[in-house]
Amino acid sequence: MLESLETVMFYSLVIASSLGMLLYWVWLGSKNEFVGRLATVLTIIAVLANTIAIILRMITSGHPPLSNGYEFLLTFCLGIMAVYLYAEFRYKLRSLGAFVMPIPFFLLMFIIMSMGPQERIAQAVPPALKSQWLTFHVITAMFAYGAFAVSFGVGIMYLLKLSKEDNGKKLGPQGIVSRFPSLEVLDELSYKVVGFAFPLLTLCIITGAIWANYAWGTYWSWDPKETWSLITWIIYAAYLHARLMYGWKGRRAAWMAVFGFVAVLFTFFGVNYFLPGLHSYA
Amino acid sequence: MVENSKGLSDRLWGAFSSMKLGLALLGIIAFVSSIGTIIPQVEMEPEKAKAVGQLWQTMGFTHLYNTVWFRLLLGLLCINLVVCSVQRLKGIYHRTFNLTPPSNLARVPQKSRMVVQGDLVSLRDSVHEVSKQKGYRVTFSDQSDAWSFIAIKNRLGNWGSLITHLSFVVLLVGALLGSLLGFKGYFMEGSGNTISIQSIQLSKGTVSETFSVRINSAEDRILPNGERDNWYTDMSILENGQEVARQTLSVNHPFEYKGVTFYQASFSNGARFTADMNGQKIPVVLQDQGRSYFQAPGTDLYLVTAIDPSSSSQKSGVLYQVYKGYGEDPIQYGSLTSGQTIDVQGKYKLTLDGLAGFTGLQVKKDPGVAVIWLGCALLLGGLLLAFYWQPVVISGIVQSENGTKGSLTVGVLSGKVTVSAREALEQFVSSVTKILR
Repeated sequence: MLESLETVMFYSLVIASSLGMLLYWVWLGSKNEFVGRLATVLTIIAVLANTIAIILRMITSGHPPLSNGYEFLLTFCLGIMAVYLYAEFRYKLRSLGAFVMPIPFFLLMFIIMSMGPQERIAQAVPPALKSQWLTFHVITAMFAYGAFAVSFGVGIMYLLKLSKEDNGKKLGPQGIVSRFPSLEVLDELSYKVVGFAFPLLTLCIITGAIWANYAWGTYWSWDPKETWSLITWIIYAAYLHARLMYGWKGRRAAWMAVFGFVAVLFTFFGVNYFLPGLHSYA
Repeated sequence: MVENSKGLSDRLWGAFSSMKLGLALLGIIAFVSSIGTIIPQVEMEPEKAKAVGQLWQTMGFTHLYNTVWFRLLLGLLCINLVVCSVQRLKGIYHRTFNLTPPSNLARVPQKSRMVVQGDLVSLRDSVHEVSKQKGYRVTFSDQSDAWSFIAIKNRLGNWGSLITHLSFVVLLVGALLGSLLGFKGYFMEGSGNTISIQSIQLSKGTVSETFSVRINSAEDRILPNGERDNWYTDMSILENGQEVARQTLSVNHPFEYKGVTFYQASFSNGARFTADMNGQKIPVVLQDQGRSYFQAPGTDLYLVTAIDPSSSSQKSGVLYQVYKGYGEDPIQYGSLTSGQTIDVQGKYKLTLDGLAGFTGLQVKKDPGVAVIWLGCALLLGGLLLAFYWQPVVISGIVQSENGTKGSLTVGVLSGKVTVSAREALEQFVSSVTKILR
């Protein structure tokens, strides 16, 4: 019963977020206010469906949503859309949706394409995963990765706007990029989002270390997942330093935000699929 | 000679105070660490690591994170962080506790500025009032016909960066303490057996403690729904044969005694026997699948066992084999059910008492862990200060027009975030004008 409700929620999430993404695109081209509102509403519905799906999963399995890749991807999607919605309301930045929403869309498509029903069902967690620290670890990872996805979207917007402005200033105000905020605002937003996420990523790594110390007696064992989260951390640390000290704002900062998110994705997908290690469950 | 060495130390100081060096080191560390996730590491995959080319092995790429040169990189980063922090200390102190109001118009931050007209005295009062309202600490400097001010909010945010950077030094000290004074080891032991802490397999460090560990019982507990609950080990610490502590531990619930921590790491089945050699009863606990053996004293007979797959909890049974010396084929084999006794080569009688759990425990002593947690707390506290508690510094100076009236030029120091700094300035100024009216 709960399982089938969860499946319903999952497909509601897929439909709502995909339609939301399409409508953000339509809105960007048409500037129809109704379409824009609808896109936002659909995203809110997607967030709700996602949250309910995760809660149902936690009820049926009795543990935080991290026993397999499916559960973590759902959490990841929720983090991205939640941080995005916050940014949309806080900075009145609907155009960002067109660049952030494709990320949960691709993650959900990845689930549908690559994970059969067998891989999606709740699995028994090994004793090592039975820890309260896991909950903190997941929550911090969710918001940190979600925010990095948003900074990726902002970075792409910056680069697009910059290249359009470089190419032809005579295009006039009709171009899509004219709906984007100014370069300065985009640049600073990207910095703010990274500044929000960076302490969270740090906390995610620290809670992971505390938990590992309970479970395996080592707070840091250089397994590929740990190492890649450290590399991601270093990339964003470099982003923050370069920005402050060398004034690497604008184009270079935007590229680093994009690059940092690629490292985030690799930490999740690449490590799981290409490299061996302790973290093989998610 | 002295001048020369001073020049060198100055140059070294200069080199290490550069943030470029710090960023370069971070980049190199990130790159080198990523290599370690691609080349098999001895700690994780000993077999694959042995297959890596000899040159790479010699250079340390198969145990990369323990090599001297990787540690040297971390050490250099550490020096770099300390030098940078020391250099910035004075500036941060002044920016936090020693702010001076601008002495002339040029001193007011130029990037974001606003001007308010009004009566000099009431302007001053409203700046004072707004500062108080909005939680700024304000300092005024009054001249005969003019005045200036500087106001700061969230001033402790200035220390965030310094605390964050120094936390790395703390973390590194913690890691160093652990590797110098600690040890790491593992043992697998069956229920009922006692093992000296000195005789465990060590992968790091040396053991100075002398107590023993007795495994009272080991259990693989399964929940009613068929999922594994956890592995449980009931163990006692013995000092000179006397029990001084006893605890049940499981995965994620370690047990610590005198700085040595025991972690449940693995579990295996086994069987408990009694060997009767001419009336002398010897308890024997053997691991499943022949992973441990019993050599009867004074003989060259080796006994191994495997649990009979058809045995149940009511009726446990094992298969056994007896080897003589290094012989390849067993000279005696068969099956035993619990309570049954057999004769082994006329040397001793063997009785199966029942099945027994074997527990695998990770043992670690790491005096650096507390320091590591301190470093983590500092790191997080520093980051929270730096990113969630950003200081805002607003300053301004009046330009008197006729002694009583004038214009106040206010500016905001735009550090990391220009747009929000400007927002803060706009809010400040609009509050000031509101009060003026």
